[in-house]
Amino acid sequence: MGRKILLVEDDRETAAYLMRGLGEEGHSVEHVIDGREGLFRASDGSYDLIILDRMLPLLDGLAVLRALRAAEIATPVLILSALASVGDRIEGLECGSDDYLVKPFSFAELTARANALFRRNESRPTADPRITVADLEIDPLSRTVRRSGKKIDLKPREYLLLEYFARNEGKIVTRTMLLEKVWDYHFDPGTNVIDVHVSRLRRKLEEGFDRPLLHTVRGAGYRLEG
Amino acid sequence: MPTSVRIALLAALLALASNVAVIGFIHWQTYDESITTLRRQVTDQNAFLADIYQGGGMDALRSAMDDVDADDTHAKTGILDSRGRPVLGDFAGVQTDLSEGYRSALVRLQDEGVSREAAIYLHRLRGGQWLISAQTAGEGLAFRLTLQRSLWIGLALSLLLGLACGIIVARYVGRSVRAVAKVADRIGSGDFRQRVPVRGTRDPFDALARQINAMLDRINTLMDELSILTDALAHDLRSPVGRIRAAADAALTAPTPERREQLLAGIIQQADSLMRILTTILEIGRSEAFTSRNQFAWFDAGQLVAELAEMYEPVADEAGAELVLRRARGDLKVNGHRQLLAQALSNLIENAIKYGASGGEIGLGAVRNGDRLALTVTDRGPGIPEANRDEARRRFRRLDSSRSLEGAGLGLALAEAIAHLHGGELLLGECTPGLNATIEIPVQPDQHGKSALARAPAVAQIRAK
Repeated sequence: MGRKILLVEDDRETAAYLMRGLGEEGHSVEHVIDGREGLFRASDGSYDLIILDRMLPLLDGLAVLRALRAAEIATPVLILSALASVGDRIEGLECGSDDYLVKPFSFAELTARANALFRRNESRPTADPRITVADLEIDPLSRTVRRSGKKIDLKPREYLLLEYFARNEGKIVTRTMLLEKVWDYHFDPGTNVIDVHVSRLRRKLEEGFDRPLLHTVRGAGYRLEG
Repeated sequence: MPTSVRIALLAALLALASNVAVIGFIHWQTYDESITTLRRQVTDQNAFLADIYQGGGMDALRSAMDDVDADDTHAKTGILDSRGRPVLGDFAGVQTDLSEGYRSALVRLQDEGVSREAAIYLHRLRGGQWLISAQTAGEGLAFRLTLQRSLWIGLALSLLLGLACGIIVARYVGRSVRAVAKVADRIGSGDFRQRVPVRGTRDPFDALARQINAMLDRINTLMDELSILTDALAHDLRSPVGRIRAAADAALTAPTPERREQLLAGIIQQADSLMRILTTILEIGRSEAFTSRNQFAWFDAGQLVAELAEMYEPVADEAGAELVLRRARGDLKVNGHRQLLAQALSNLIENAIKYGASGGEIGLGAVRNGDRLALTVTDRGPGIPEANRDEARRRFRRLDSSRSLEGAGLGLALAEAIAHLHGGELLLGECTPGLNATIEIPVQPDQHGKSALARAPAVAQIRAK
């Protein structure tokens, strides 16, 4: 389903690359090149997502974000920035952004994060909190997981990992997203620490079953899909 | 005009001005007093003689004049004609305009060749003649003359002394400043080994020289580090860039789409690892710049190490080591940057797994000693020889023996920068066998902590050992 996205980015090359990519995904993208115009367009709250560069002419990205949040506009905001340090990321998140992506980034990472934001903003049916993916059933209240009715024992962190995958069913989830959302660490550990955890989870989910659930997407991350 | 000349002239001028002020004051005070006395004497004398002339005429005046001369050797009297020429009395000549009243004038006495100064009073007599009375060498007058002479000598002396003082001061200041300027000049042209000579005089110039030298030492250390960094950076970035290039080359001519995809994925992976290196370098710089301190908050370090232990337990397991958590009981709360400390510890844990997993056990601990907190990562691997530990901390300098292993070697440098940010230290010790890497930080960092620069000499000293 196509979404309405506002892209506030002064670098024309990056903007063209993003517009082409997001357009191919079926989204409609409006592009402005400075912060003031971005704030003006964003203030009617009609977008599904705002992709906001941090360093912008006229009004910088964080100022735009603060102004939006002060005006109680809750449109999800994904910040793009060349400022990569942990401190910068946290500052961005504390200003009220929903996600933070460091330049240069892969397009897969951007769409994975954008999709996660769209999904989060959707109203979920409240009657049944359980999440099902194919024959996998997750109960967030009791934190129990069953596959084809058979209970699977998970460690607390493995459960959180699986729940995050399940809430983004069918979408690509990157390693950094997992590190940030499941562990709440905003640095790049540089080793295969995430891969090790994912492969342990996969072993528990798929042992004794023919059908794979947790797929590796090369160069991007993972996807949970039946 | 050179500075030294200006300083000399200024000193001379100041000496002159103060002397003129003092001498002038003395002169004005005493001159005034002595002149008043003289004036009164001459005026009284003239009035007395005028009275006698009034009563007894010229004859009485003449005898009174003789009496006055006899009474006071400095008192001279006489009569001048209507054109000012002496006709009677002690004078051979008087240089003055002719008018009633008091003044000082040059007079020449009978039997004397030269004129001298005198205080005189002129009184017009009937018939156009003038009665003159004078004091030639009254105490006041003599004093005044001496005073004037001393004044001029004094002024000349003070000018000379001032100039001499000025020259000495200017030379002293000039020499000290020139020494600094010369060093600055040499450094400006690229010779960074130059130092300002310290004379050991403990004056402000010595202090200045010491400060400049300390600054130069710090700059040198930074430049050394920078050049090591750039060398190492060039070295460490070369191989991934080379691999990326080779993979891109191969991808261009790949025989199958699958092979091409595989090569491209490899390129992305290499580029990501390059990005990681660059991000870490930026991170180190930022940590040292103390900008992250406004994100400090209280958190439980015990919980942090437990989380990290849980996170790395499977990784250690796959590398063939057991990760053991040793968390002390009690309060392990600390005021710091949770994310950065997590990053520092994860760097140490990853190093331990990478280089020390062969030893079988990796320890992760948190202990509180007084108002300090020690976060420790130990391994039972080969460790780092003591001589190489400072080296290991330096950015990018992987120890030669580990060159073959993956990793940019930035981990220890970042951990140290983060420890410094918290006002603490990264300690590397022996674990017999193995390495003990401890981040020791105060539980509550000094709010007005030493700046990164003020801390630097201590670090430089440790490194120089």
